[in-house]
Amino acid sequence: MRVQSVLQELKDVNYSVISEYIIRRISEYITESGKNGGIIGLSGGIDSSVTTVLLSKATQNYFILLMPSSSTPQKDMEDAKKIINMIGANNKYKIINIDPILESFKNEIKTNDKLVLGNIKARIRMILLYAYAQIMNYLVIGTGDKSELLLGYFTKYGDGGVDILPIGDLYKTQVRELGRYLGLPEDIVTKPSSPALWEGQTAEGELGVSYDIIDAVLYLRVEKMMDIESIAKELQIDTEIVHKIDRMIKTSQHKRLPPEIFRLSGRAINSDWRYPREWI
Amino acid sequence: MDIELAQIRPKLGDVDYNLEKHLEIIQTSSADCIIFPELSLTGYVLRDLVYEVFKEAEKAVTKIVDNSKCAIFGTIKEVRPGILRNSAVISIEGSYDYIYKFYLPTYGLFEERRYFQPGDPLSDVKIFKYKGINIGVVICEDAWHPEPIEALALKGADAVFIPASSPMRRLEENLLIENNWESLIKAHSLMYGIWTAFVNAVGSQEEEYFWGGSMVSSPQGTIKVKAKKFEEDRIFTKIDLEEVRKARFFSSFRDHNRDFHRLLSNL
Repeated sequence: MRVQSVLQELKDVNYSVISEYIIRRISEYITESGKNGGIIGLSGGIDSSVTTVLLSKATQNYFILLMPSSSTPQKDMEDAKKIINMIGANNKYKIINIDPILESFKNEIKTNDKLVLGNIKARIRMILLYAYAQIMNYLVIGTGDKSELLLGYFTKYGDGGVDILPIGDLYKTQVRELGRYLGLPEDIVTKPSSPALWEGQTAEGELGVSYDIIDAVLYLRVEKMMDIESIAKELQIDTEIVHKIDRMIKTSQHKRLPPEIFRLSGRAINSDWRYPREWI
Repeated sequence: MDIELAQIRPKLGDVDYNLEKHLEIIQTSSADCIIFPELSLTGYVLRDLVYEVFKEAEKAVTKIVDNSKCAIFGTIKEVRPGILRNSAVISIEGSYDYIYKFYLPTYGLFEERRYFQPGDPLSDVKIFKYKGINIGVVICEDAWHPEPIEALALKGADAVFIPASSPMRRLEENLLIENNWESLIKAHSLMYGIWTAFVNAVGSQEEEYFWGGSMVSSPQGTIKVKAKKFEEDRIFTKIDLEEVRKARFFSSFRDHNRDFHRLLSNL
């Protein structure tokens, strides 16, 4: 089982150091951005649970939105509540069922395509988060992890529409371990990932590969810079699986970069006009 | 010697496609020698794709060498494990050599020093002979400095070919960058009595847009031929030694004063 030994390498990091680092970074970022705190959408999945706990340790000024739809499993809502209880956020959250909002979009768009509607759900959540963020002068805290970001397994301007990505450099495998370290309920830590954009959707079902394999491949491809054949050999898996993951990385690059600007001036944004975010 | 300037639109990182394009042009050209743009096998705005395409490009080199009489094209050469250089291959009748870029731009949009090591003037200034013509090659940025082309001319070059990937800056009726390049190649031609050929890429790569406009200056500083802007084009011209002679009869290129270079070497 070569996959397991690669995962072991991934898991073998110091979660105490990592969590302290991320908490410090969230706290400093909020201060430096001149905002009063952070708002987060909590689904009850591993990524948003871990990020919510980290946010709660970084600042007292946080707010949580639970935004279920008809395709949200009851279990996820229960898990989200567990996290809220765990961090003592009983007066810092709000539940907004997004079905009525989705309905009005549906009336205009007239489609039952689950992918189109799923992306609308993700973007409705983004809109709600930003509206609350603006009212409260908070930042929108993103919950994407490195595995999802690399695969492009997120909705552009939906869950991809955020201000910062605190766990964006941790693979799903590492986020689960970090969750365990932070004392999250074990069933949240081990629960199969799902965007829950339609009923019965699971990430691994949709991707056709387990996150164990995905993470092992991503790690070897991106950080070890190995070629596709070598990875297949190393992990003793079908080359086609590695190809598939590689294709997902490549075709989703547009989701990770700002939109392309057609250059025509003497100094163009992102081309030869580059400034840091911290620009006072 | 008849040359062709192959102003192609390379696909970024798609070595297979670019190689096909090279071969197609080589097979249908009437010229003795064909010159392609800088990094023509790989595309220019590669960013970290550099690390993934250099091996493929390396394999493509021999395919062009085996199928051409004389070709000059752009590629990435791994000179030692992990040390890459922005290179041009000059392939003549089955044997080939590499030309390295000396000045790697890092201003504005450019970030070549992140990926490439510059060539060494003490070992990498080379002259090649084909059809009775002494040929020198410099890559893009090296034409914005006096020394690389001066060194080639003093070593005997009659013609200097410049594979380039020049992106558009400000979009205007008359592109400033086009005027700049025209001035540069005319100046090199006039100072050294050489033919100077600028071969640009064309089309978009990421947010950048390569404007084309490849051109050749005669030793007397006349633009003999110019390719279209913003689209692929193939243009031809004859490299004629008589023009080199005439230019040098009536210029002071023969008066090389080494003391300037002694002075320069101490600055």
